[in-house]
Amino acid sequence: MPTVTTDPIVLSTLLAELAQRQLPCGGWAALASSSQPAIEPTCYSALVLGSAPVGDIERAQDFLLRTQNPNGSWPVFPGDDQEGGWVTSLAVMSLFDLVPAIPARLKGLHWLMSCVGREGNWFWKWKFRTADRHVRFDPDKFGWPWFPDTVSWVVPTAFSILALNQLPCSCGGLEKVPFRVERGVEMLLDRACPGGGWNAGNGVVYGTALEPHPDDTAIALLALSDRAQHSIVQNGVQYLERVAPTLTAPWSLSWAILALAAHLRPITSLHRSLVALPDLVSIDDTNTLALVCLALDFQRALSVFGVTL
Amino acid sequence: MSVTRRDFLIGSAALAAGATVTAPFLLPKYHSDRRPKRSRVAILNAQQYSQQLDQILATGLRFFPIDVRGKTVLLKPNLVDYIPGDAINTHPLLVLASAESFRRLGAKSVLVAEGPGHQRDTQLVLSQSGYQQSLSDEKIRFVDLNRDELIRTPLRASYTGMTHLWLPRTVLESDFLVSMPKIKAHHWSGVTLSMKNMFGVVPGARYGWPKNILHWKGIQESILDLCATVPVNFVIADGIVAMEGNGPLNGSARPLGKIVLADDPVAADATCSRLMGFEPDRIVHIRESARFLGNASPALIDQVGETANAPAAPFQVVSEFRFLHAF
Repeated sequence: MPTVTTDPIVLSTLLAELAQRQLPCGGWAALASSSQPAIEPTCYSALVLGSAPVGDIERAQDFLLRTQNPNGSWPVFPGDDQEGGWVTSLAVMSLFDLVPAIPARLKGLHWLMSCVGREGNWFWKWKFRTADRHVRFDPDKFGWPWFPDTVSWVVPTAFSILALNQLPCSCGGLEKVPFRVERGVEMLLDRACPGGGWNAGNGVVYGTALEPHPDDTAIALLALSDRAQHSIVQNGVQYLERVAPTLTAPWSLSWAILALAAHLRPITSLHRSLVALPDLVSIDDTNTLALVCLALDFQRALSVFGVTL
Repeated sequence: MSVTRRDFLIGSAALAAGATVTAPFLLPKYHSDRRPKRSRVAILNAQQYSQQLDQILATGLRFFPIDVRGKTVLLKPNLVDYIPGDAINTHPLLVLASAESFRRLGAKSVLVAEGPGHQRDTQLVLSQSGYQQSLSDEKIRFVDLNRDELIRTPLRASYTGMTHLWLPRTVLESDFLVSMPKIKAHHWSGVTLSMKNMFGVVPGARYGWPKNILHWKGIQESILDLCATVPVNFVIADGIVAMEGNGPLNGSARPLGKIVLADDPVAADATCSRLMGFEPDRIVHIRESARFLGNASPALIDQVGETANAPAAPFQVVSEFRFLHAF
């Protein structure tokens, strides 16, 4: 496992800022200037503050429990339409340590199992094989969409795999979890960019290989941390190792640190680069602020994502 | 001429199939007719991205009776992703020149806002594409529309069948929205101009990256619903270096040497299409929006500046859109 020492003052300053941004409802807004709570920043913040002496983690967990949709999914923010979306996997992971949240988590996991990218349906499979072939992908390999009624994409599939992998057993109506996880893994491998790495999920369009993105690649690599020997995974790691030292955006750099640590690659210099970025404490995007904290405390972060080293 | 039973059946089937395809566009699906009596478009020559854009733009804006005094002006560039050397995004120098022009015209504030459709790390796109430094130097606020506060907004047209979208507060509360597209061919919609550029106001946090629901509901239909709901007050289109072929990301740079200004997005897009060597009536969202949003016919457009001549060679497109080429 990579060993890196973080300046505790940097981390505690960022944690204090994160705690200060918690809204009275218990959640966090996506932007510091906003008062509209949202699930994604709340999940990252709850994951960070789970072991920190600041912030009110109980209120954050209450907020998550209160905002769950009746169908088991989570909305993007309270008041959103109730069909649910990709943040469900994040919410399930954020409530992992909370015993009273077990029923809510199970409902969330059942919803995830019922949520299938459209190419999982025979009709769309047939369409993608015959009439709609400009994006190169194998429709037999499906994962999770951002929202119901669309096709699978890399990030929601990777987060769903991470959430489902945290289940201690496949029972109680969740017997098909290994099948869905395996299909999801196949889907990620299928959607990789030819030159290594991942973008949102379009590797080749109209015969042209598209460029990967560092954050999408890192999130896919976290979900594939137990497939480290696969050549596509290794290509992804190599791409990320190449690009990470050039990153000056804290969101992508933080994800890169987490993924490379999960794949046992050296991250000391990346860690230094992250800490050296200017004005971390005044990052407007709370998702990013929380993620920087996760990257600075990467061993704990990997454990909350269920990644074992 | 005798018609056999077989001919009749084949003919009927063809008619039914044709009606099924075209019917969605025959019935009006818009709530109100917002077409101005006449529209104005200015085509300006600009061969390169330079500090002189300020002057060119100021000259062009004088063709329009714009009153932005005391208003919040939102500049919405096309900022999709960053690939070194590719003409993907509206150039930051044009955005800066626009901001400066609107400040001089008395705007209360000018901000730049976008929700990139491919890349989740907006700050990465901003920094790689040169926006971050430029905006910071000029003290221009940027709002990430993928993460902004959202308001449930009923749609003012029903081409997609959706009743509402969650849209960013910053967009809905701005007084004067300027769509600033990069003039590009697009492999799914034929062109991406000022109306398609409005996909960027649909928040990724709510609809994903890419905003896939808009593709499933129909790209042309989504453009129409969106533009009916979020009015574009003005257009400044970047055609200095445009893109042809496999746009919006992987096409080839096509120097066009033009900036297109307009007080009507339909007129702007019809004119840009002509500059690309396309017949605008063959682009579904331009043809349909000319029924209720703006003017596409040259007879209803006051053309100032340069003429909208088609280029010697039309813009290349993917094979499915070759029918756009004007004869």
